[in-house]
Amino acid sequence: MALCEAEKTFVLHGVEENFRIDGREREDYRPMELETNIVSHAFGSARLRLANTDVLVAVKIEVDVPYPERPREGKLEFFVDCSANATPDFEGRGGEDLAVEISNSLAGAYRSPEVFDLTKLCILKGRKCWKIFVDILLLECGGNLYDAVSIAVKAALWDTRIPLVKSVTVDGNNIDMEVSEELHDCQKLDVTGAPIMVTVCKIGEQCIVDPSAAEELCSVGALVISVSRNKFSTILQTGSGSLHPQTLLECLQTGHKVAQRLHDALIETLVDIKPSENSVGFLR
Amino acid sequence: MPIDHKRINGPEITIPYQLFDKLNTKSGKSQFKDFVKSNGVRIDGRSANDHRKIFLKTGVVSQAKGSAYIELDKTKVIVSVFNPREIPNKSEYSSKGEIYCEFKYAPFSCHKRRLHQQDPEELQYSAIMKQALESAVSRHEFPNFQVDIYALVLHNDGAALSAAITVAGVALAHAGIPMYDLITSVTLAVQGEFVLVDPNLEEERLCQVPLFKDEQNTNHGIVVLSMLATHEQVSQFYQTGNLAMDNLTSAIETLTNAAKDIVVLVKKCLVRHVIKSARNVED
Repeated sequence: MALCEAEKTFVLHGVEENFRIDGREREDYRPMELETNIVSHAFGSARLRLANTDVLVAVKIEVDVPYPERPREGKLEFFVDCSANATPDFEGRGGEDLAVEISNSLAGAYRSPEVFDLTKLCILKGRKCWKIFVDILLLECGGNLYDAVSIAVKAALWDTRIPLVKSVTVDGNNIDMEVSEELHDCQKLDVTGAPIMVTVCKIGEQCIVDPSAAEELCSVGALVISVSRNKFSTILQTGSGSLHPQTLLECLQTGHKVAQRLHDALIETLVDIKPSENSVGFLR
Repeated sequence: MPIDHKRINGPEITIPYQLFDKLNTKSGKSQFKDFVKSNGVRIDGRSANDHRKIFLKTGVVSQAKGSAYIELDKTKVIVSVFNPREIPNKSEYSSKGEIYCEFKYAPFSCHKRRLHQQDPEELQYSAIMKQALESAVSRHEFPNFQVDIYALVLHNDGAALSAAITVAGVALAHAGIPMYDLITSVTLAVQGEFVLVDPNLEEERLCQVPLFKDEQNTNHGIVVLSMLATHEQVSQFYQTGNLAMDNLTSAIETLTNAAKDIVVLVKKCLVRHVIKSARNVED
């Protein structure tokens, strides 16, 4: 996609008037579509569609040994797969850089114990813990990946059910675990603190969220802000531009405000999602 | 993580012996109290806003186009910059030049041995470095060409990333790559009420988790900021942890001031290099 100067000016003026080319205001998101519990082999899953971006997240759980330096904690790992279905650029190892960037930023955002309590995943100190694999599949890329991925991950973790461990017995070096046989006997994860990422784009003098492809071309720089409860858990700058410290603060304030609104809306939606009787799958 | 089977790799799981150290029986909070007194004076006698002693030198690698070396007390980073070359594996023409950054911890630079291949942390730091340097370099001056920047951390005693960014700026200038501005970078560690400029490794580690939970203060985290000196622009900003808005506001202010403090040193180092090379021409 390429824009000429006149088109760029048009976008810029729209942003200044608080009436963007698709009719949104500066702090509006495009409509999103969210489904949970759609992959039957996974412990939890979610699929999010934000305009043209399509993300599928599935959570798998395994029993593992805790890290020796953190014996009381379980493990949480993120893997991003940029499928070549999304764009031909991802063919071969093409999407690797992007994948590493996204998974690292997620890992950074979930690292603080205030954000996600890993001690809940410990089964037996220093010996056994749950390891959560969060697999993120990018099915279609239409910009604003960070936001879409973070929301989908949060929804998938919300949906995740961990089998209930009834008892753990230690006999020398052998550890016996008894997992509840009841299918519905399981724990849910506490994801109220799970971070939401908001990409704030600077266009002209203003900050906007959820830029479309045309708007991304007009922006000089962007900040990916991840907010958990009302605190910042990770911030990183993307794009090749630079910002004045004052602008940086304004972007942070915008991101903070929008992330909290998005968080409330997401929790509201997740509570409302009922196990649907007519399952439609994500390929409608 | 793929493993390079051509090298002799150690056993898969090894544990650094420091884990069995007596220090580890202490709680994080009392460890932190050992490092930072309640009046903000740190174990090495610095106040919260002080940098460590910085040593900067250019021209340390003779075969590179430009190179520089920095010491922040024990943290040691060496950066070399090579001549622009055509962007490999690219068919389209790009009107702006590219920067390629590689951030690497030497195998012996940390408590735990690092592997020869870049791990995800190093890859991320490489991306952050690239982001920081891109806005400092006049990339339109070398279209379709790529400048390679290699940063090697010889000893990691905290703030290795910001040290690498600062010294990469110096190395770029030393290599004669056209630049808009000088770049300096500073790390900040936050733990509760304490805000520490240029933390060492232990301070950095202790700021990864909240230690003052019982005092209702769960702020903690690491912030890295890079500044373009004369333009007063933030070219890169990276934060992890859990920080409130007002903490971050004051952190940005502290960091911008701290970044300005280093500019003098960078300038002095480059002037020294210019004088030296002018003398060489005269002789």
